This record gives sequence, structure tokens and C-alpha cells, in this order.
Amino acid sequence: MDSNRTGWGLLAPTLIILGVMGLLPFLYVLYISFFDWNVFSASGQMEWAGVNNFRRLVFDSAFLGSLGRTLLFTLLAVTSELILGFLLASTLLRDFPGKIVFRTIHALPLVIAPIAVGATWRLLTIPGFGLAPYYLDRWFDIDYNIGRYAEQAFFTTLAMDIWHWTPFVTLTMLAGLTAMPKEPQEQARVDGANRWQVLRFLTIPMMMPVIVTTVFIRMMDALRIVDEVFMLTGGGPGNATRYVGIYIWRVVFPQTDYGYGSAMSLLVLYFTIVLAWLLFVALAQVGNQQSSS
Amino acid sequence: MSSRRLLPLLVPLMIVSMILAACSAPAAPAPTAEPAAGTDTSGGDSAAASGDTSWWSEAAAPYAGVTLRGVSESTPASRYVEEVLAPMFTEATGINVEFEVTSWDEMYQKAIQDMEANTGIYDFVYIEQDIIYTYLGRDFLTNLTQLMADNENLASPDFDVNNFTSFIDNFKDPETGDLYGVPMEAFIKINLYRTDLFDDPDIQAAFEAEYGYPLSVATTHEQYRDNAEFFTAYGEENDMDLWGTTVQGHTGHPSATYEFVESIAPTYGVYNWGVNLDTWKACVDNGGEMNSDTAKEALNFWLDMLNYAPPEATSSTWDEVAASFAAGRAAQGWVYGENATWIATDTDRSAVVGNVGVARSPLSDGVLEEAESGEGYIGYYDGGAFGVPHSSRNKEAALLWLEFIGQESVQADWAVAGSRIVMNSTFDDPKVQEADVATNGYYTMLKDDGPLYRGAPPFPFHNTLRESMDPFFWQALAGELTAEEALDQACAAAEAAMVQLGYGE
Amino acid sequence: MTSTSFRKNLGLIATYALWIILTVITLLPIYWLFAISARSRVELFDVGNFIQTTFYAPNYLEPLTDPVFQRYLINSLIVATSNALLVSVLAVLATYALSRWKLAGSNNIFFWLITNRMAPPAAFALPMFLLFTRVFRIGQWTMFDTRIGLILVYCVFNLPFAVWLMKGIMDGIPIELDEAARVDGANRWTVLVRVILPLTAPGLAITFILSWIFAWNEYLFAASLTSVNARTITTGLAGYISVTGTEWGQMAAVAMIATLPALIFLIFIQRYIVMGLTFGAVKE
Repeated sequence: MDSNRTGWGLLAPTLIILGVMGLLPFLYVLYISFFDWNVFSASGQMEWAGVNNFRRLVFDSAFLGSLGRTLLFTLLAVTSELILGFLLASTLLRDFPGKIVFRTIHALPLVIAPIAVGATWRLLTIPGFGLAPYYLDRWFDIDYNIGRYAEQAFFTTLAMDIWHWTPFVTLTMLAGLTAMPKEPQEQARVDGANRWQVLRFLTIPMMMPVIVTTVFIRMMDALRIVDEVFMLTGGGPGNATRYVGIYIWRVVFPQTDYGYGSAMSLLVLYFTIVLAWLLFVALAQVGNQQSSS
Repeated sequence: MSSRRLLPLLVPLMIVSMILAACSAPAAPAPTAEPAAGTDTSGGDSAAASGDTSWWSEAAAPYAGVTLRGVSESTPASRYVEEVLAPMFTEATGINVEFEVTSWDEMYQKAIQDMEANTGIYDFVYIEQDIIYTYLGRDFLTNLTQLMADNENLASPDFDVNNFTSFIDNFKDPETGDLYGVPMEAFIKINLYRTDLFDDPDIQAAFEAEYGYPLSVATTHEQYRDNAEFFTAYGEENDMDLWGTTVQGHTGHPSATYEFVESIAPTYGVYNWGVNLDTWKACVDNGGEMNSDTAKEALNFWLDMLNYAPPEATSSTWDEVAASFAAGRAAQGWVYGENATWIATDTDRSAVVGNVGVARSPLSDGVLEEAESGEGYIGYYDGGAFGVPHSSRNKEAALLWLEFIGQESVQADWAVAGSRIVMNSTFDDPKVQEADVATNGYYTMLKDDGPLYRGAPPFPFHNTLRESMDPFFWQALAGELTAEEALDQACAAAEAAMVQLGYGE
Repeated sequence: MTSTSFRKNLGLIATYALWIILTVITLLPIYWLFAISARSRVELFDVGNFIQTTFYAPNYLEPLTDPVFQRYLINSLIVATSNALLVSVLAVLATYALSRWKLAGSNNIFFWLITNRMAPPAAFALPMFLLFTRVFRIGQWTMFDTRIGLILVYCVFNLPFAVWLMKGIMDGIPIELDEAARVDGANRWTVLVRVILPLTAPGLAITFILSWIFAWNEYLFAASLTSVNARTITTGLAGYISVTGTEWGQMAAVAMIATLPALIFLIFIQRYIVMGLTFGAVKE
């Protein structure tokens, strides 16, 4: 099978780079997750810990709380972005003057570095020189202070993520909707289906692969959010926005608890893979249905 | 069809990027090929200040061309080292200095990683006073006394340990007295207050009318509270952006915990964060003090101050506290002394120039006596030194560099640039005296009151311990826990963390 | 007739209203970033002044004239561009292989490739650091603090994304086209360059752009794997958070400067984004 060898040859550089830069560190993380390794421990040594780190995890209510908040954050963020993005993409299907300008401006947040997004939103929300607290107080008499009120901080991180990533969803949806064949919809309208029915029974099923893929990508990135939130709230107030990415960062760097941090990281990776696998299977099924129908 | 039109666009783009990528090739294999590329060495006019230049070039002859790399926190004192002292040193010795000035979190992460993994990336690292015991506990640092003894030809005549203030004792091994770091900045956390407000006769009259005693800088916590309450109300009545005090109360940053354990708890007589240094226990039940009634009183006082602090207090780290005070938003407050000079003198950055006074923190009864007898302390003496990691591959050249920054002749300008003083003689320098007048006596206070302040307790696990306590202070500041709940939970978490590390089992 | 045209107009007005509101929401934080970047330290707390009439140039001039900062910018440019280029080329080759050959376990390989993007990055900084300082070394040279190191590390999260994007597009190209070309005597390589590449161009463009943006914006690995020579602009941004009062104005200015190249890139290329982002999922 000379031909197959060519195929592997083409794949090889990718596999090698990801093997060295992705798999190797992963194996190392796996290895140290079985050790007690804290730079500041009395012994200062790496000590075999078996599955102790994982056992600690199960009873670490602070960590589990953080995981729960992250899942909630991801769920709310991805759902909102999906709905908003779909809605906006459908308004962009027809031509109207200025469309390109609107679309370009809409895509702006996409290119801003997460750490700069965090800085931008901090400037917007910090009492003293932020716009939001000033005008919310002046116009609506709302005491907006994300350093102080947990719910406000949570929803601000949510708003920030939606602001940052909805454009991405809009663009993928737009790409999908544009590439979709128009005839079935037109036929359905002629046959007397109303808008809602067309959307429900034609557009959404046909868009399913795009939707699932988009959810997949957004979910993956939302679950490991760090930079933006770290700049905005540092994970506060209290524990309100200490999502797992930040939680692990704190365990690994300031606490230098490398073993425990590695175990946490693996657990989160495992969760993500399971979720991703479910979506992946769903995607394959949707694909099969489409090709069979 | 559209794809055809895209190609002409894509091709030039790729060519440009290939050229750019090619540019990266020569630099990548030789990361140290561009010595001190970042710093403008052409000036060099201040090289004369560096004492006996010929000694330096002679001693450094074997190491000329070596590149030292160091990491430090981005403070004014560090930036002065990067921009002024490093080029001076390179000119005198031919040894290059690459200096990475970065954020506080990152500085620790990278220095610790390097020393733990024994990689030898850094030849000198910033050692903040509070981490020194942790580093010593792990033998992370090179013994400088030993190194000088082993290389007599490298011992500069201009470097003398006895020139330094007592702050240098923090960087000596408590048992042998050997030196592990050369101090480069030191300051105390003080109280700043607005002289224009405290000296205003109308305000004084209004205060006395309301509280029944004359307005003055607070010496007790009750008085501090009254002042804070009064000025907050005063700001509101006069539609000013003025509040009674600052609080370093960021609800997601370690600086909040630090303000309490360093600057509030000691003024109530709770020292060493309430941790018993013999048994490594923190809770009252186990012989600690972290959740004692006094500690709870102290935390209640501090949380109460939030009511009289500007709204950004719960988003304020050490950075923003100084910024708030400099913007004229607080009548009094706890501010790190390294900020005193710029707040008092720099009109580009500060709106309260000429109106800044310095004072001791308010104290409970008996605390001052305990501090004077050496039993306790009234606040935080912070600062840092440069040390040589055990993993450095250029220890001798690094030693020369540390001696260079430890010369008396480079201190005065540096002191003024960074509000930092590490030598006794620097206090007498005219430039420092001038700054002392501008700050209404900060440097005099640093000199006279210095012994009453103290650095962090000798924890060999500083960061881990603080991290375990942080969330409870954050929750207390956010109003989710009472002071009592927060301290009860914090001491338990602190004990758990210490046991996990193998202390106090 | 009039009622439909009325409804049409109403729809148009609603669309405009929606997009105008949206534009304001999108631009407001960016505008405020700009306003802060144009203020000196003493003006910062002047929130009531919504319209920025003054411009405090030192916020921009100080970093722009600083050779250290200039090097950050150049590093970012080189790293992002090289990485995007590398990722695009590798992704084309890999997806061509995955799509045209029946390789054993190719579905699993595909999924494994993607999982590389999923891990929370913090725990991986330490192993990367050890690899870079201890394993990847030739004599005195280590991969730590080199641009080539960053270019390779960024493949870990960019390659999965690129492979994914290109896979769908590659699958969407009918295999009959390959076969027709092969009948005409073209070899595999010629087929790839002459037939496949032109058809995937929009997808390739978007792969390149998004990889570039992700690489340009990355912070954590840039912070932990570089020290002096290979630092990028995002790490420079973090450096403005200092003890003596965060330099908010300068930081905002740096954020503006860091965003600008990406912004120009976006405007230049944005019409192709829509063509390329289909993940090949909807087939015509």
C-alpha cells in the first residue's frame, strides 16, 4: 500500500508536532498527578501519592463549586451566543445598504486579545473611572460594583463573553446559512408553510451540523476561560467568578501545588472530552441522517 | 469563482509572512545574540558615578561578554535598575545584563519554576522580603558571604554589608548570619493623610462641633473611624468625590489579605498573621490567634472601613489604593511608602501634590510598647533584594553585579526614583532630604520608626498559606461572610494547608 | 401591494434599529478604552466627561518609542504570522490525507487532534517549561525564550482548530474532481496544488486569519515560556499592572496598539470570512 504511506506522510508533520507539544506534556501532567509535589512542602520532594490527589478533588467543595460555576457560565454563555448569533446572521442574509459596515464592526471584538478584552471591560466597570457604574447610578440609581456584588460580577463576565464571542457565532451561522441551498425553503413557502415552520422543520435541521460544530468550539473555549476574567475580577468577589481555569492557575502557580493542580486539570480535560465526544457523536448522527434522507 | 479572486490577495500575504518568518530564523537559534537590545546604552553619562571603574573592569575581565539574566517585579526601583544601573554596569565591566521586569504574579511563577527545576535560566532574582524564608528553606539561593570568601579578587572594596540599614538582616541566615541577598528596595506601609483637609480651620470647627474633640491625625482606631465617617459625610455634603479612608480590598486579589495581616491585625496586637510559629497552628483552640476575639475585632474594624471608602475599594489592589489617594478621593489611608514620593511630588500623576502628610497607623493600647520592646510591631516593613539562584551558571559575574548595585555611590538617585532606602548614609543625601521635605517627613519616619515595623513572619510556605486564607477575606469583603465566620474558616483552612505541607501534624 | 411594501420597510427599519443598537454596544467598550488611553493619570477619574476632547500623547509615545516595546511588537508579528502559515500548510496536508486516504483509525486521530485544544492551559505551563529548558536543547541553546518555541507551542491549540475547519471543506470537494485530474495524468501533488488548493482558498484564508488572531492574542504560554528576547505584546500589556498604581492610560494605549494590526487585518479580509467558516457542514 504505497498510497497509504503517502497519506501517513502527509499527516506525519501534524502528528509529530502535536505529539511532541501536546501529548508529551499531557503524559507529564498525568505522571505528576500521582505525586505530592509542592515546592514549599516540608520535605520539598516529589512523593508518590497514588490516587490521593484525585481523592482530595472529590471532597474539595471549593473546587467542585468552581467547576459548577464554570459549567453554568458555559451553558449560559454558549446558549445566549448561539441564539443571538443565529438571529443576527439571519438578518444579514438579505442585502441592505451599510450591511458590510455593520458586519465588520460587529466582528471587531473577535480580534481583541482576551487579556485586552479583560482590561477593556475592567476600565468600563471599575468604580471611579468606569462608564457603567457612573451612568447606572446616575440614570437608574443602580449601585453597580462588580468588586462587591457576586451576581453582578457573574453576569458581567457573561456579558463580556457574549460581547467577545457572539460575532464568531454570527459568522459561522452566516456562512452556514449562505451556503445552504435555497430551493427547499422556497418550495416549502410555495406549498404554504409559514416562516416558523420553515425555520423549525427545514432551516434548523439543515443547519444542525454547523450549530453543533459551533457549540463544540465555543464550549471548549468557554470551559477554559482565564485571561479575560482574571483581568476583570481576579476571580472575585469571593468565589463568584473563580472559574476552573483560574482555580487551577491559583493552585499551580501561587500555591505551587503541582501534583494537585495536574489532577484538577486532568479532571477538567476529562469532562470536556466527554462533553465533546457526546457532541461529536451527535454530529456524526446528524450527518448520517442527512446523507440518508 | 470567488476563490479565484481570493488568490491574488492571499499570495502577497503569504510572501510577506514568509519574509517575516525568515527574519525570525537568525534570532531564534541565538537568543542572547542581541545583548541588552532593549536598553539605550548610548547615554552612559552617569558612569562616572560608579566609583572606581578600573577595579570593576579588572575584576570582571574573565567574565566580559557573559550575559546575566534576571527577573524582577515591575516597580520603579526595578525599572531604575533596568534603565540606569544595568547599562552602567555593562559599560564598567563588559558583562551584559538582561533584565525581565514583569508583573508580581509572573515574577514569582518564573523564579520559583526556574529554581525548583534547576534550569539555570536566571542569574539573579528579586526576593521580596516575605518569600526569603521560603527560598532559604529550600536552599534556592547562593550563599553570598561564602561566594565572596571563595573569590577574594571579586570582593569589591565599595561593597560593605555594614553600610546597609537593619533591613539587610532579613536576607541573612538567622543562624550563621551569612548573606543571601543584596537589598535593593525597602519601605514601610504608612498612613497618608491630606494636610489640606486636616489643617482647614472650617473643617476642624465642623469636626469638633460634631464629635466633641479636636480633629487630628488618628492615633486610635476609634478616632480613625470618626475621621473616616466625618470626611465621607463631608464629601457627600459638598458634592465632592471624597471619602474617609482607603481600603486595599480587592475581592479577588491577595493584596486584600495582606492589608489585613500586615497592617491592620498588628495594630491590634495580633502578630504573625495569628499563626503560632512553634506549633504551626492558627486557631485559638489549637494555640493560634488568627480567630481570637482581638483578631475578630480588628477584622470588624477593617470591614467597617469599607463603608467610608470610595466604591473602587473592593476592586483595589496596592496599585489602585495609591491611585485613589493620588486622585484625591480619600482623606486618609494605608499606602505603601514606595508611593509616597510620587503622590507628594509628581503633578503629572497626582492631584494632591503638596497636601500629603505621613503618620503611623492608629494603634491599640500597649501595641507601641510591645513594638518598642521588640515583642511586636506596628506595621509592615517591605522591600526586596536581589539574590543569586542556586541554579545560576554565572554566579561569579552575578556577584559582581550585586556588589555593583550595593555601592553607596549609586544609592541616592535610586532612592529618589523609587522611594526606597537601603543604606543609612542615603538618608543624609541632599536629594533625599529634599524628597523628605516634599513628603512631610516620610524618609525621616522610615529612618526613625523603621525598627517599629517588621517584615513578614518567617513562614517557609508563605504563598501557599496566604492562598489558603484568601477566599475567606474576599468573601468577608464582599459581605458574604461575617468577620467571625471568615476568621474561623480561614484559620481552619490555614491549618489544613500547613498540615498538607507537612507542618504542624 | 402597499401593505407588503410597508411590511418590508418595517422589517428594514427594524433591521437597522437592531444593528445600530448593536453597533453602539460593540463600540462602547472600545471607545472607552480609547478615551482612557487618551487621558493622563490625573484625568482618569473624570468619568463625567464622556466626550474625549484632549489627547495625552505620552501614553502612546512612551511605549512606541521604547525599543523593548518595539521588539515585543515585532516578536508578536513574527510569531503570529509564522505560526499561522505553518498551521495552514500542515492543516492542508493533514486534512488532505484524512479526507482522501482510508487511514486506519482516522476518525480517532481526528478526535485526538481536537482534544489538544481542550485542556485548561495553566497545568501545562510547567511541563512545557521543563521541555523547553531541559529537553529541547542543543548545547547551550534551549528553546526557552525563542520565537521558534512559541511558534511550535501555538500549534497545540491552532492546529486542531485548523484541521477541523479544513476537514469539512476538504470533504466537501467531490472526489470526482481528483479522479478526473488523475485521469489526465496529474499526480497527487499536482492534484493538491492545482485542483484542491484553489477550491479551499476561502477556507484556507479563514484558517490563516483565525490562527493568526489566536496566536497574536495568546498570553499564558508567551508569559511562561519567554523571558527577554521572544516576549510578545500581550505580555507587555500585563507588565503595566504594577505596584505603584497601574498605568491605566498607558495600558489602554498598549491595548489599542496591540489590537490595531488585528483590526486592519480583519477589515482587509472580512468578506472572505463568511465564505470560509462553513466547516463544510452544509453541502450545496
